[in-house]
Amino acid sequence: MTGEFAKGLDALGEIFDFLGRFAARNGLSTRAEFQLGVVAEELFTNTVKYGAKTEKPVRINLEKVGSEVRLEMLDFDAEPFDAGEVPTPALSAPIGERSPGGLGLHLVRSLVDELTYEYRDRELRVLVTKKLET
Amino acid sequence: MFEIETGDDGTIILRGRFDAAQVETARKVLDGVSGSRIIDLRELNYISSGGLGLLFSVQRKLVDRGHGLKLVNMSPHLREIFTIAEFDRIFDIG
Repeated sequence: MTGEFAKGLDALGEIFDFLGRFAARNGLSTRAEFQLGVVAEELFTNTVKYGAKTEKPVRINLEKVGSEVRLEMLDFDAEPFDAGEVPTPALSAPIGERSPGGLGLHLVRSLVDELTYEYRDRELRVLVTKKLET
Repeated sequence: MFEIETGDDGTIILRGRFDAAQVETARKVLDGVSGSRIIDLRELNYISSGGLGLLFSVQRKLVDRGHGLKLVNMSPHLREIFTIAEFDRIFDIG
């Protein structure tokens, strides 16, 4: 399934509807749908918050292959981004020393099996693979 | 759909999907919290880092003043996200 979404937080409702249709069509568990929602939202909001302000929509491709889901997100007018430069937040620190920064990417890393970023000529491609419970 | 409501006993009730687009709606209520409160999550079916970040900010402010939030009726899916974020260390989860 492919969907294109305006690059703004107002599009989140449409994205969740899109994920819901994919989950229903492919018989995903409520847990898998929930976690896929978190992953898609965090990746999308990163493109909105840190990417270029543009009229070009963000494209999301979803595919179920065997017992895994592949989510591809394409931002056609993106700033360079390297997820490897985003540190893991200090999760075990006392609350006074913790910051909520970096939490979204930490959730994504924790919920998926593979996460790759490719950036070329202002196009950012994020590919996620998540194995489903059998 | 997302809703936030304060009950007659002061309990704050969150409902629906607490995504990044709903943070400012929730902030209008949660920024006014100045003492310990219960937050009932029975009807909350989704949260992401946007919602978590706001709850964290409120909790940090309250803890500084000797108060805190107690989160009750959390679904297993939400609980898993709180655990990954290690928020079970900083919130009283009942």
